[in-house]
Amino acid sequence: MSTRILTKADLAGLVADLLSAGTRVVAPARVDNPQVAAYRPIASFDEARLDGPLPPRSPKEFFLPPTEVLLRWQKKKDGIELQEVATEHPKQVILGARPCDVAAVEILDKVMGWDYRDELWFGRREATTIVSLACRGVDKSCFCTAVGSGPDAQKGADILLVPSDGDAYLAQILTPKGQALVEAHAQRFGEASGAEAAKSFREAATRKVASNLPIEATKLSGWLADNYEHELWKRLAMRCHGCGACAAVCPTCHCFDIVDEPEGIDRGVRRRNWDTCQAGKFTVHASGHNPRGTQNERFRQRVLHKFSIYPKRFGELLCTGCGRCARACPAGMDLPEILGQIAKLAGAGVPTGGTK
Amino acid sequence: MATEETKAFEPKIVAFVCNWCTYTGADLAGTSRLQMSPNVRVVRLPCTGRIDPLFLIKAFERGADGVIVSGCHPADCHYTAGNYHARRRFAVFREIADMMGVDNQRMTFSWVSASEGNKWRDVVNETTERVRNLGPFTEYQSLSRD
Amino acid sequence: MKELRQIAAKLLTDGAVKVVIGWEEGPRGARAAFVTRPEDAERLIFDARCVQNLATYLSPRRRHVVGLGKAAVVAKPCDAKAIAGLIRESQVKREDVVILGVRCGGVVREPTMPASLTAETVADRCGICETREPTLYDHLIGEPQPEPPRVTRREEQIAALMQKTPQERFAFWSQQLERCIRCHACREVCPMCFCEQCVADKTRPVWIESSSHPRANFAWQMTRVMHQAGRCVDCGECERACPVGIPLNLLTRYTAQSVEKRFGHKPSDDPSIAAPIGTFRSDDSQEFIR
Repeated sequence: MSTRILTKADLAGLVADLLSAGTRVVAPARVDNPQVAAYRPIASFDEARLDGPLPPRSPKEFFLPPTEVLLRWQKKKDGIELQEVATEHPKQVILGARPCDVAAVEILDKVMGWDYRDELWFGRREATTIVSLACRGVDKSCFCTAVGSGPDAQKGADILLVPSDGDAYLAQILTPKGQALVEAHAQRFGEASGAEAAKSFREAATRKVASNLPIEATKLSGWLADNYEHELWKRLAMRCHGCGACAAVCPTCHCFDIVDEPEGIDRGVRRRNWDTCQAGKFTVHASGHNPRGTQNERFRQRVLHKFSIYPKRFGELLCTGCGRCARACPAGMDLPEILGQIAKLAGAGVPTGGTK
Repeated sequence: MATEETKAFEPKIVAFVCNWCTYTGADLAGTSRLQMSPNVRVVRLPCTGRIDPLFLIKAFERGADGVIVSGCHPADCHYTAGNYHARRRFAVFREIADMMGVDNQRMTFSWVSASEGNKWRDVVNETTERVRNLGPFTEYQSLSRD
Repeated sequence: MKELRQIAAKLLTDGAVKVVIGWEEGPRGARAAFVTRPEDAERLIFDARCVQNLATYLSPRRRHVVGLGKAAVVAKPCDAKAIAGLIRESQVKREDVVILGVRCGGVVREPTMPASLTAETVADRCGICETREPTLYDHLIGEPQPEPPRVTRREEQIAALMQKTPQERFAFWSQQLERCIRCHACREVCPMCFCEQCVADKTRPVWIESSSHPRANFAWQMTRVMHQAGRCVDCGECERACPVGIPLNLLTRYTAQSVEKRFGHKPSDDPSIAAPIGTFRSDDSQEFIR
């Protein structure tokens, strides 16, 4: 689709327009600790930190909250009365999200709409317009280029902003939803210019990230499928605590648990909560048997699901290379390091270009 | 200064008591026809040593405005030492609760023996009045809103 | 460091242990290492970035580590306190672990930081720590260490919080726990959280709800801290592991202060000293009991 220009002043105006129209705007924003930013609803553009540090958590919670109510139940004389929750969601715009975070949302659409259409997920998806912001590369744990994506990837975004000359962003309008947003706020968007600056920004960022992990992770699935019992897995996760912080911060981890919580003796709530394959209890059978009895097996599952099982079923990796798992791990487990080891074993360590 | 609303407020108080001393003391208060506020719901357990701080948390979760924990005097425990263990446990728990903002005035700890019907009445009345003055525990109750 | 590597290599060569648990250089700073071959002892390091408490790996809950066989573990004084805790509570037998005690001058807040200790970089707990070397060890390694920079910022935060009204504290914790996603990372990394079946995982009945709504988050943290009373060794791992940045050490540290004030108990690396909850004195103070 088309390309426009959006100055910072116009972006601030756009946010003000959206907020005054009652649209929720979620952006990386200041929190109480100045070193940290978090994706959260903002009350004005001033709160946003588009150039700030990478928020430790992805914005997946705005599509799949850590906990949400599925239904309420109450015992009545003539049976149990169920009260369902609304699947319509207020309009929201996610602004300034990183391309790795945004790509994850589109990847997850596949599993959420696979054998059962998850109405809560798609309700929020449909109510949301995503305006992503090309990334300059965060640190050595970034590896988006190794998973076939990049710091300027368009996947999942309705509009992609790329820093351009001065205080302006080049806005690439990618979907009808993005087009609708631009049309509704046409006075904020100018004629496209500064394409050269945007291009060099993208190239510099891609070069920076590509040198972190010069492999093609899309080529690992064959080796992974054939080497379920490989020695690597037997020692891989010694230091892993199974705490699941990696899954909590991961933009693509989406497993959940469903629980019934009583609110008294005659009523209760059914909720859906985030869960993780890294927790020992995740796979315990009613008999007490646990098919993934130790952390090594649980970690293998994490790698296989992302790089072999999901690609086999849905044709793409369940990883966007954001590196959050490595940054969040209190024990120093490092997915890019492990992918590098696997690539070596698999002989798929073909440099992807732009690297030394 | 009491508003219309606080006048109408009747605190809900849950008492966790041991079977051997306080429950029997409360029974004595009843059979002696002592007058006391009807705000306290009694939960009987074998011993104060069986009272997990989680019981108190659960009571607050389900809308209690105050709690009472009561058992045998030192040296009187039916199981020799249950109340000594409970004493240490609750000495610490009330400070943790205080740190997290649960006003200690909402919790009463007492020793009431089987013969102390009068003391039980006083514990019930004093706790009820104290919690009535504090008002409903709206902070904790508001945690339950979705 | 040379001494540490030599001892580790000898233990492995002699077959005295099957694995040496220490620290190594990882992609993001110092991290745990599991050395099973004498020649790999060269990987071992020890400096002010060795933040993590390795005693966690001795817990019987970690079957994949237990499965390696008898372990030697490198232990800072605070790690040794956790090992003593595991011995005290019958999770580990003293004779089943070789403790390589290291003299410690404090660590930085995150293993990714440079190893230089200043008032800004030093971990909060080290700012008040008085233990330079463990007393529970089989080998004591390293030169005597200077005292870490003295910082009391955490103690001041606690004191300031306690100056507030209970309502204000409740509001503070409500805001902090709003972020909790109930991943239980605080529990999983804790060397003293070794229960096979955690009360937070119980479903019949549901004692602590697993959902991350504020009601359940309050119940969880109050219970977790209660269960740590008199047992917490103040290694700071719960707070460091928290992916949403809740200042959990304010709770554990305040509880430790209360326990010390009331029972005169400080966490120590002497396994024969009983933990204060689980024992009692007939003359314990009871000013709060009517």
